[in-house]
Amino acid sequence: MSLNDKLKDLRKNGINEAKRAERLQELNDLRVNLLGKKGPITKALRGMKDVPAEERPEIGTLANNVKKDIQLAIEEKMSELNEQMIAKKLEEEKIDVTLPAQSRNIGTRHILKQTIEDIEEFFIGLGYRVDAGHEVEEDHYNFERLNIPKDHPARDMQDTFYLTDELLMRTQTSAQEGRDMESHDFSKGPLKVISPGVVYRRDDDDATHSHQFHQIEGLVVDKNVSMADLKGTLEALCRHVFGPNREIRFRPSYFPFTEPSVEVDVSCFNCNGQGCRICKYTGWIEVLGAGLSHPNVLEMSGIDSTVYSGIAFGLGPERFAMLKYGITDIRDFYLNDVRFLEQFKGVN
Amino acid sequence: MKISLSWLKEYIPVTHTVEEIANKVSLTGIESSPVKLGQGLDKLVVGHITSIKPHPDSDHLNVCMVDVGEDEDIQIVCGAPNVANGQYVIVARHGAHLPEGKRIKHGKIRGIESNGMICGLDEIGVPEKYVPEAFQNGIYLFPEAEKPGADALVLLGLTDEMVDLDITPNRADTLGMNGAAWEIGATYNEKPDIKSAELDESKVNGSVDITAEVDDEKLVPDFLLRELKNITVGESPLWMQRRLWNQNIQPVNNVIDSANYVMIEYGQPIQAYDLDKLQESNVVVRNAKSGEKFTLEDKEEKVLSHNDLIVASGSQILGLAGVAGGIDARVTADTKNILLESAVFDGASVRKSAQRHDLRGDASNRYEKGVDNGKVSEALVRAVQLVEQTGNVGSISKEIVGNKTEAKPTVIKGSISHINHLMGLELSSDEIMDIFDRLGFEAKQDGDNVTVTIPTRRYDMSIEADLVEEVIRIYGYENLKGTLPSGMETSGGYSPKREFGNKLRNTLLGQGLDEVINFALLSKAEVKDFNIKETDLTKLLHPMTEDHEYLRTSLVPGLINNVAYNQARNNNDIAIFEQARVFDRPKGEDRPNEVEYISGAVSGNIANDSWNTTSKEVDFYDVKGIVEELLSFTNAKAHFEYVATDQITNLHPGQSALITADGQRVGYIGKLHPSYQKEHNVNDAFVFELNVDELFDLNKRKVQSQAAPKYPSVSRDLAILVGKEVESGQIVNDIFNNGGKYLIDANIFDLYQGSHVKPGHKSLGYHLVFQNPNDTLTDETVEQAFDVIKESLVQKFNVEIR
Repeated sequence: MSLNDKLKDLRKNGINEAKRAERLQELNDLRVNLLGKKGPITKALRGMKDVPAEERPEIGTLANNVKKDIQLAIEEKMSELNEQMIAKKLEEEKIDVTLPAQSRNIGTRHILKQTIEDIEEFFIGLGYRVDAGHEVEEDHYNFERLNIPKDHPARDMQDTFYLTDELLMRTQTSAQEGRDMESHDFSKGPLKVISPGVVYRRDDDDATHSHQFHQIEGLVVDKNVSMADLKGTLEALCRHVFGPNREIRFRPSYFPFTEPSVEVDVSCFNCNGQGCRICKYTGWIEVLGAGLSHPNVLEMSGIDSTVYSGIAFGLGPERFAMLKYGITDIRDFYLNDVRFLEQFKGVN
Repeated sequence: MKISLSWLKEYIPVTHTVEEIANKVSLTGIESSPVKLGQGLDKLVVGHITSIKPHPDSDHLNVCMVDVGEDEDIQIVCGAPNVANGQYVIVARHGAHLPEGKRIKHGKIRGIESNGMICGLDEIGVPEKYVPEAFQNGIYLFPEAEKPGADALVLLGLTDEMVDLDITPNRADTLGMNGAAWEIGATYNEKPDIKSAELDESKVNGSVDITAEVDDEKLVPDFLLRELKNITVGESPLWMQRRLWNQNIQPVNNVIDSANYVMIEYGQPIQAYDLDKLQESNVVVRNAKSGEKFTLEDKEEKVLSHNDLIVASGSQILGLAGVAGGIDARVTADTKNILLESAVFDGASVRKSAQRHDLRGDASNRYEKGVDNGKVSEALVRAVQLVEQTGNVGSISKEIVGNKTEAKPTVIKGSISHINHLMGLELSSDEIMDIFDRLGFEAKQDGDNVTVTIPTRRYDMSIEADLVEEVIRIYGYENLKGTLPSGMETSGGYSPKREFGNKLRNTLLGQGLDEVINFALLSKAEVKDFNIKETDLTKLLHPMTEDHEYLRTSLVPGLINNVAYNQARNNNDIAIFEQARVFDRPKGEDRPNEVEYISGAVSGNIANDSWNTTSKEVDFYDVKGIVEELLSFTNAKAHFEYVATDQITNLHPGQSALITADGQRVGYIGKLHPSYQKEHNVNDAFVFELNVDELFDLNKRKVQSQAAPKYPSVSRDLAILVGKEVESGQIVNDIFNNGGKYLIDANIFDLYQGSHVKPGHKSLGYHLVFQNPNDTLTDETVEQAFDVIKESLVQKFNVEIR
C-alpha cells in the first residue's frame, strides 16, 4: 500500500472511530493514539524517505490534512458529547419550584409603632422636630401649665395615676407643650414639634379602654399661625394617613389649653362619606382634638400671646390603627399574639 | 341635656327636623344627637273605665269596660292593684306595639275576653325610676279627664323630639332651656323670646320669720330664700310632669316639681324646705363639723367632712349645699308653709362633696360647671310663680338674703384684625358685629377695636380668644380654607438618641424578631424579677389593680408574659423584642429616671422541620449572635465582652452572661432559670436586655476607609487540649494579645469534650488568619507569630498543642 493510501486509510478509520466514540475519554485517547508522536500518522511519515523527492510536498500536505480532518472529527464529536452531557445534567437538576422556600424572615414592627412612625415621618417632612418627653411628669406640666389648675373640672375627664402629690404618670402628651415652649429660642424660627409617646389613665381595661395607650401631640408656635393653618395641617395629615380624597371638618369643642378648641372628623374612608357601619352612618369619623393654644398657656411659658399664636393637636395612634385596619379590641395591641402582630408586616 | 323641640318652640321658631338641628348644632356649638321618643309605638290611647267587676276565676284580676272613643266600650282584663271605675288610663289596643318589640293582642285571660291592656308608664317607655311613685306598681292614671280615644303618647309627651346636647364642661349655660334657646337661636339667627318671671305683688308680704346667713361669702356668693305660706301640695299638672320625666326627673309634688322645672328652664337649682320643720328661725350655710351626720331624703345616712358645705338651721342639717336635700325638712303632702332657696355655691366645693358622698346629680352637675349668677333672684321668683300656678299660695315673703353678689357682665376688648388673624380669615367688621349680635352680646366698635359685653349666662367667656371661637363657629368652620403655617423653614427630625434607638430596633427586625409593646405598670412580683440594678421600686399612690401597681424596672417580665401567652396558644416558636423605658429610681429621690432599654426573648425553634431541613431549637449562641449583630451596629469603639455570671436570680447560672463594654456593664444575656420557666409556663427561653442610653453614650468609632486588601492572607489551624474550666474567650484574647500585627482573625472551628480526650479537658480547634495589607506574608513571619501564640497558651493555660 502506498503511503498515500495508508494516510487516506488512517483518515477514514480515524474519522469513523471519532464518530463512534461515546465518551469524552475515548476521544481523548483517540487523539493521543492517532495524532500523538507515537501514533500511526507519525509512524507512517517515517516511510517518507522512500517517497520520491518530487512527491514529498504533496504527501506532506496530505498528512497535515489527514491530521486536521481527524482533529476536526474529534472536536465535533467532543462538542456533541458535551452538549449531550449538559442537557442530561440540566434534566437531572430540574426542581419543583413550588416547594416551600427556606424562609428568611424579617420581624414585623409593632402596628402602633408603624402607625406612629408614619405620622412622625409625615411631620418631619413638614419641618417638625420629634420630642418624646417624659412618661413620669410633674403635675405642673401635665395640668397646671395646660391651664388646668387643681380644682378644674377637666381633671375629672382624666383620672390620673399619681406617684406623689406632685408626680404622676402623664395623662397626655400635651404635657410636653410647656417644656417645649419654655425651652425654645424663637429667634431661631418657629417652634414646630410633635411629641409621641405613652400616656396613662386610671381606666379599667376593656375593648375600648386601656390604662396605657399612645398619643401624638403636635404644636406650632409662631407669629402668624391661625385656625386656617391648623385646618390645612390636619387636612394634609388625614390625607396622608387615610387617603388622598379625604375631607376633614371641625366641630367646636372644649379643652382647657386651647381656645378655640375643635374636634376633628375625617370623611369616612370606608364609604367615602356615604354612611356605613364604621362611621356609624354619619359619613364622618372623629379622629382628633385640636385648637389654638390658649393665651394663658403661651403666657405661662413666657410667650407674648399678643404677638405669638400657636396651633396644637393631639391624636391617638391606637384609634388611627383601629379605624384603618378594623381592629375592634384595643387590648390586642398589648397582648402581642404574634399572629396578630405579623399580619401587619410591611403595611407602612 | 335634652332639648325638647316642642318646648324650644316657645322661644324660637323651629322649622327644621330634629336630625338637621342636631347636626347643625354639633357643627356650630355643642355635640348633639337627635332623640325621637315613641318610635315604633302605636295604638296607645286614652281609655275611660266605665265599669269594673272582679274576674270570676281570680282574686286579683278585674274585668273592666273601657271607653276608648268608639261606639262600644271594649272589655279589658286588668291585674293592676290601683285600677278603679271612672279612671282615665292608657290603653294599648289590639295590635298595639310597645317598647322592646312587645305586641298586644286580644285574647282570653282565665277564660274572659280581653281586648287590650291598661298600661303603666314604664310599659310605654318611661324608665321606672322616673315614674311618679304613686304609679310605680300599677297603671298610670291621668290627673284630669281626657278625651277617650285620644293619642295617649302625645298627651304624655312621649312622642317628643329632642336634641340631646352632650356639653363640654364650659358650656353649662345650655343646661337650661333659656341658654339652650340662645345657643340654638344663634345657630339659626333667631333671637329667643324669653319672658321674665314676675311675682303676684298682691301676695307679697313684708314680714319674714326666717333670717339667713352664710359663713363664707366666697363659697356662697348668692343665697336667697323666700317663704311661701298656706300653700297646697299636690300632684302637678300633666304638662309639667311630662316635661320632667322626659328630663329624667321623677315628678313628686307641685313644689318639688316646680323647683326642678325652674332648674330645667334657668339652669338654676332650686331647693324647697318645709318651713314648719325648721328647728330655728335661722338658716345658715356653713361647713359641716367633721363627723356630723346627715340623713338624706331616702333615709341613707352620711357622715360629713369639714369640707362639706351644708345648709343648716341650728344643729339641724337641711341639706348638703347644692348636692342633696335632707329628710328633716322635706316637703311632703302635708306641708303647709315652705321655704324656697335659690343660691350659688362654689363649684369645686360642690364637686368634691358630691364625689365624696357619691351623690352627683342634676343640681351638683350644674354647680360644678357654673350657674348664671345674674338670674338667681329671677329663678327664685319663677319658682314662686310656678308653685302658685300649680297650687294655692296664701302669701309670699320678700327675698331673704343670706348673701348676694352683684352679677357683673364680662367686658372683653379685642380687635377685628387680630380676631381675623387668629382665624386665618378676613371677615368684615359688619360680619363680626352681626355674629356678636346673634349671640346676644353687646358689641361696640371703635375703628379696629371692639368692646364686647357678655351676658352673665355666658360665664365661659373672658378673653379675646373666646371671641375668636364664637365668631368662627357661628361663621362656620366649613367655610374656613386650610393653609399651612407660612413661617420660617425649620429642619425637623428625630433626636440623635431616637435615631440610634431606631437603628438598634432595625437590627433586631432584620434578624427576624417581631416587635412587641407591653405595659409599663406591673405587679410587685414582676418588677422584682429582673431588677438587676436593684433600683428602688416606684409605686403608684392609687393603683387600680395589683397587676399594674409598680413601674417596671426591666422589659423582660413583659416579654416572658408574651412568650407564655403565645405558647399557651400553640405559637411555640417566638422571637420578640421591645424597646421602651424602664424606671430606675435613685435612692432617696421621688422621681425615677426613665431609661431606654432594648430587650428580647427567643424560645422554640429557629428553624423548623421541612422537606429539606431539620429543625433546630434556639440556643445561647443563636441569641448571642443576635446581640452581637446589634452591638456591632452601635458603632461603638468599645470592646464588648460576655462575662459568665451566676448572679442573676431568674437566669440559668451556667448559661448567662453580663455584657460589658470596655468592662462596664451594659446588659445581660442568658437562658431563663428552669424554675422560673416552670412558674411562668414557658418553654426553654433565652433573653437579653441592653441599656440603650448607655450604648448611645459610648464613644463612636471613627471610620477611616481602608482599601480592600491586595495581598493574600495566610492561615494556620491550631488544635489544643486544655482544662475544661478555661473559657474560649480567654484563649482568643490571648491569641490576639500575642499574634502580632498581622493576625486578623481567630475563629473556633471545633470543640470536643467527650470520652476521647483526657478527663477534665476539652479539645479546641482555631482557625487563625494572618494578613499584611502592604506585602505578601512569608511563611517565616507567620510561623514566628504562630510560635509566640502557642508558647503563650502553653505557659498561661497549660495547653497541650496537638
